[in-house]
Amino acid sequence: MSESKKESIFKRLAEAVVIGDTKMAEEGAKEALAEGIQPYEAVINGLAEGMKVVGEKYETKEYFLPDMLLSADAMYAGLNILTPHIPKSEMKSKGKIILGVVEGDVHDIGKNIVKVMLTAAGYDVVDIGRDVPTPEFIEKAKSEGAQVIAMSTLMTPTLMSMKAVEDQLKEVGLKGKVKTIIGGGSVSEEWRAKIGSDAYGKDAMEAVDKVKMLIDSIMAAVEVMKKEKKE
Amino acid sequence: MMPYDRFMAVLSGKKENVDRIPCTNSVSVCTIEFMKAYDAYWPAAHKDPVKMAKLGSAAHRLCGLDNVSVPFCMTVEAEALGAVIDFHEDTIKWPSIREFQVKDPSDLKFPKDVSKAGRVPVIIEAIKKLKKEFGGKVPVNAYMAPPFTSISSYLVDSVTFLKWLRTSPEKVHQFCKDTLDLYIEIANLYKDAGADVITLHEMGASTDNISPKHFEEFVKPYLREIIGHLKSPTILNICGSALLIVSKMVECGASAIAVDERTPINEARNFVDKIRPGYPIIGNVPAFEVIHLGPIERIREFVRKDIEDGADMVAPGCDFWLETPTEHVKAFVQAVNKFGTPPPRKNLF
Repeated sequence: MSESKKESIFKRLAEAVVIGDTKMAEEGAKEALAEGIQPYEAVINGLAEGMKVVGEKYETKEYFLPDMLLSADAMYAGLNILTPHIPKSEMKSKGKIILGVVEGDVHDIGKNIVKVMLTAAGYDVVDIGRDVPTPEFIEKAKSEGAQVIAMSTLMTPTLMSMKAVEDQLKEVGLKGKVKTIIGGGSVSEEWRAKIGSDAYGKDAMEAVDKVKMLIDSIMAAVEVMKKEKKE
Repeated sequence: MMPYDRFMAVLSGKKENVDRIPCTNSVSVCTIEFMKAYDAYWPAAHKDPVKMAKLGSAAHRLCGLDNVSVPFCMTVEAEALGAVIDFHEDTIKWPSIREFQVKDPSDLKFPKDVSKAGRVPVIIEAIKKLKKEFGGKVPVNAYMAPPFTSISSYLVDSVTFLKWLRTSPEKVHQFCKDTLDLYIEIANLYKDAGADVITLHEMGASTDNISPKHFEEFVKPYLREIIGHLKSPTILNICGSALLIVSKMVECGASAIAVDERTPINEARNFVDKIRPGYPIIGNVPAFEVIHLGPIERIREFVRKDIEDGADMVAPGCDFWLETPTEHVKAFVQAVNKFGTPPPRKNLF
């Protein structure tokens, strides 16, 4: 298949995500498979590229929640068709993240958008839902071997649930080993500093950057430890 | 000067007549310590007019806040339209929707008599009690969720509804049109019961949720309609980012707008003064980060800065956090007393 044909399918997939057209994303994904394009490539060069543009448009206030939601639908529609065809060996995850809305809060729109952006950026996201009991964040992080716990809340009364997760992490001795990032309508950098979270993402795009930073710092620490062992 | 006169002077654009800047909150004014002080705990205080009136006036009685305010919930209108509310018996939690059953305007259940629907009669009774005790001395505020926020947050599943703004705009309009009279009627019932000001709390329409274009299309026309039908002074309150829509908020026609810390007062002032010089802006000392967390010195500093930035009334622009210590609310009011007396004079020329 010609490079230009491939490029045009990638472009269409990206465009489908940008304009939030679920049908177009499905058709693009099917065509990619039919044309023998590596599904992993179609995700990275098509769907994820589109989501990057969506993220930029959101940051510059050209896009708002309704746009993000429709784009997310289109991305998942494409992913659902493509991912079953990706061989396990090619599923390169950049890291594992436990993601949930903290106890007492049921607002999960923001959390779902963060999930889309992290997934598009190549992270393995374990979504544990909304109104998640505090211990579940820690248990899941342990059982899944995740590097990061990401917590969200829209409401102010439930900010305390974030602190509860931080406190429990300390109690079980995981603080620092598993990094935390917080975000959501009522969350701020000030609150992050107050409860000692490792990062605060003001929106889904910043969350992706900060998660990358956290995982890089863990990887760097692991490298140092390896070196020290050798020496 | 009585709080009532101070408050009304600012709302009618005559702030040059006040002895000091008012310190108010036109949404929820209750805290757990206030519930304790008056034995007016949730959920009982949502359904008992005596308790509701006590709780709604606690911040005035104990701390000197310049207004009283009821109810303490945004689901009242949705309940009147058939939503089933979870009041979380035996715990102190914000009421919430049990299940989002409405998928189409035809699913709405309109009450035969709005004055008897859900908690509307309780709120009417509470307003009457407050008016009897405070009439002409302390302004009685009643707040409500207007159509967009009420429908998108408490009647229809939010994700579904927000997508409709792009995929089925006619359906969104249908929802708003069909319910508009009910919202107007509720507001007028509150007014007739004695509310001095009606606050429309459109928290679902900040730019954290929707675009300025969608605000113009789906929110502003209905707010204008409601405000146009009300004979009482009104406040349009939006917590969340609203800087991009402050001019549109002013165009809705309320007596004043109120915002929280996500809308900087000084920048909002610049936008607003271009279309309506001196139009009252209420806000925006953070309810959680500052009034709840304190310490008192920090509350004072934020109040001083807020007045310097051009707030015509100092308020959080959002519900008091339930765990706020009474001492902090007192410090909040005292700081406005200190830094807002006399109100700063603006050099207009």
